[in-house]
Amino acid sequence: MSGRGGFIARRLLHLIPVVLGITVISFMLSYALPADPMTVNLGELAAADPEVVASFRQEWGLDRSPVEQYLTYVYNLLQGNMGISISTRRPVFQELRQALPATYELAVASMLISIVVGIPLGVLAAVKRNTAVDQVTRFIALVGLSVPVFWLGLVGLFVFYAQLGWVPGPGRTSATIPNPPFVTGFMVVDALLARRPDAALDTLWHLVLPSLVLAMYNLGILARLMRSAMLEVLGEDYVRTARAKGLPERVVLLRHALSNALIPIITVIGLGFGRLLSGAVVTESVFAWPGLGLYAFRSATTLDFPAIMGVGIAVASTYLIVNLIVDITYAFADPRIRLTN
Amino acid sequence: MGGTTMSERGIRIAGKLASSFTKRALVRLTAVAAGVGLLGLQLGQTAAAQTMLVVAETFNIKTLDPSRSIEGTQMTVNKVLYDTLVTFEGEDVKTPRPSLATEWSTSEDGRSYTFKLRSGVTFASGNPLTAADVKWSLDRMINLKATTAFFVEGIESIEAPDAVTVVIRMKEATPALLAILATPSLGILDSKTVIANGGNAGPGANTTDKAEQYLNSKSAGSGAFVLESYTPDQEFVLVKNPKYWRGPAAIDRIVIRNITEASAQELALKKGDIDIALNIGQDQIASLEKAGVTVRASPVAVIFYLQMNIDPAVAGSFANPIVWQAVRSALDYEGLLTLAGPGATPLAGLMPAIFPGAPDANGAAKMDRAKAASLLKGANLSRVSGKLTFYQDATVNGVSMNLMAQKIQADLAAVGITLDLGGVPIPLAVAQWRAGTTPVGLFRWVADYADPANYLGFLPGAAVGKRSRWLEDTSPAAAELVQLGNEARKEPDAAKRAALYEKLQTRLVETGPYIPLFQPAAPYAYRPNVTGVTYHSVWRIDFATVKKRI
Repeated sequence: MSGRGGFIARRLLHLIPVVLGITVISFMLSYALPADPMTVNLGELAAADPEVVASFRQEWGLDRSPVEQYLTYVYNLLQGNMGISISTRRPVFQELRQALPATYELAVASMLISIVVGIPLGVLAAVKRNTAVDQVTRFIALVGLSVPVFWLGLVGLFVFYAQLGWVPGPGRTSATIPNPPFVTGFMVVDALLARRPDAALDTLWHLVLPSLVLAMYNLGILARLMRSAMLEVLGEDYVRTARAKGLPERVVLLRHALSNALIPIITVIGLGFGRLLSGAVVTESVFAWPGLGLYAFRSATTLDFPAIMGVGIAVASTYLIVNLIVDITYAFADPRIRLTN
Repeated sequence: MGGTTMSERGIRIAGKLASSFTKRALVRLTAVAAGVGLLGLQLGQTAAAQTMLVVAETFNIKTLDPSRSIEGTQMTVNKVLYDTLVTFEGEDVKTPRPSLATEWSTSEDGRSYTFKLRSGVTFASGNPLTAADVKWSLDRMINLKATTAFFVEGIESIEAPDAVTVVIRMKEATPALLAILATPSLGILDSKTVIANGGNAGPGANTTDKAEQYLNSKSAGSGAFVLESYTPDQEFVLVKNPKYWRGPAAIDRIVIRNITEASAQELALKKGDIDIALNIGQDQIASLEKAGVTVRASPVAVIFYLQMNIDPAVAGSFANPIVWQAVRSALDYEGLLTLAGPGATPLAGLMPAIFPGAPDANGAAKMDRAKAASLLKGANLSRVSGKLTFYQDATVNGVSMNLMAQKIQADLAAVGITLDLGGVPIPLAVAQWRAGTTPVGLFRWVADYADPANYLGFLPGAAVGKRSRWLEDTSPAAAELVQLGNEARKEPDAAKRAALYEKLQTRLVETGPYIPLFQPAAPYAYRPNVTGVTYHSVWRIDFATVKKRI
């Protein structure tokens, strides 16, 4: 295979060794902990009963050697079975299928806000350097980069929900609106599939504040980077030439300056998506958002090995796929890049 | 060439993105968003006209299968999905009351309990509830060998001689049985429905029973509510059981949502988006009271205590009983109670004051630092140092373990005892504790059922005692305590039993490597239009008794 298709296929194939590597690392780290899943999953009185302990260890394969446990896990994984959560006794795949769409919904909305707001702000700040617009942009960027997302979330809830009442409170939907049947896990899509515009609008409305809060960090980075990249490009000879040719300022800015300034921004967007997944742990906690962040936290604190491995695989795969998309996007933004190797 | 085309397309997209962010576009976006919001709020208000109770809870649940779980959220939810043979009223933990069983009797040897079931009770499915369902439910719990096994480990046999009679034969006299049977984990299942969905109560049920998945999506009980849906980490939706034998509940629909942040629960309660907040912290109390929300703190069957290891190789000077006494006198109990929050009470024993047999709180230790210094000097202990293990960064029962550990460190420093803070995550702290390698620990003990027998774990060689390496054969006094514990556990006469427990507790505090600190209270809050809220230590709020004015 060659060309774009081959490139994408090869990159997707790279997922397999990376995911296996993630399972090895997750498994080894889980075992390195000086604690036992039994400790957190059996109550003290249950843990004092040897029969219950033996039954627990047998059920979860903890009575077998670590190598045997790992090989069993990988064997099952290759057949699409991510195991059963020790904590909830439900299939990990099923749990991830519920948690991941909630996080993706939040992360994609946040990323869109970061891009749609951050890039134009950066461009405006560069074009109107040292004006009030520039100062405001730099302040917003500073807030986004320096204020902890946890604090920002609570303040956002206090001001926009509790005081002003502009946005709804914590949660993915209003308690008064029954959830649509689970199909994709993306609540907006599921609501539309169920012909429930009320639920779709309600979900979208609940997305506003958490995604804005989660977006602030990336928005700050993008606005800052865009500003400095534009300032650099605007001083280049080819921009001066374009202006000298009498091209309208809009064309100079968008076609000549912005297109060149965008290339490093795409890289940052890709990296920013990974940061969104980690930032979601805190945001989901503040906004009672039942996504991967809450799931990862619960899995880690209950030493739920299959769930921890599942989270690792989900995050790594997401990150790799986003990076693949970023690489493909390079080719659109920069004609010198080819998707062959 | 193709690359150039793609590049141009990319630039155009980026250009559109940038140019789209004009003032006019911003105004339009805001207007659309506001419209969407208003519509959402409007729809929400329309639906809120139903008698719906919205509860905020920090989920602590593994499964909804009552026979497999003892976690707090499961207890609260299953309390209204399933009925138990007996129950407690309101906040009482002392007097078991009839529920599915209308009456019961105990054999002279205290080993046989005979229950007469209420007639005419049906499950939500319509199936009649019979003694066979009770036997099946208890047999299943025994054979599941799950984390709940300790509830039923004393049962020798369960018989159902007729449709309304159940006889439970214990291995020894077990006065705690009634309190155990009142726990929501012991809820009676609709055996026909559960069997039809993979349930098995026979030997080997730990591998052959497959009903858990079903019970996570549908309830199979006779309770005041029926499970409509359970979305893990998100919410439960319960709807009223119109056929409930006590009469239908006042609330039509309950939504219990997972809101992990206490401050988020506070904001939602103030706004009226939720009716009851189960997990507020001390920081929220004043603000909620100011907002006109009802805030209460009810006693819970939990104790906080300090535990020393008696092995000098592990605990050094802290293995010395003189040091235990000095620590007991050095602590500022008033200050600890302030940190524990409103409703917290002092403890004279290693048992919550709400249980029969608990020593009077007036007998609780008091700060006497001169005595502490004198004890240390008298024993020539000029330098006492150790490390305090506690749950790092955890807030349990509204108590910040970090603050509590720092306070204890400061109190002991005042009499010359050096205690380094060794906070670790809960799983690691529990692992160290179970290995018996904790020199000094700040821990809590939670009652799984409403009986003082829960606290026999502090005896030598029992669950807590052995973690201090304090065993029955450590000393004649230890053996005597174990003997006293056995007597208290089996004594069928309530008054004699309470007296035995009180004697036991006094001796335990005098001679054991523990220092009781306090019994916390659980703060919770609800809207002024909500009534009938009582907080029970085991299942917290019974939603079947809650009413809401619309």
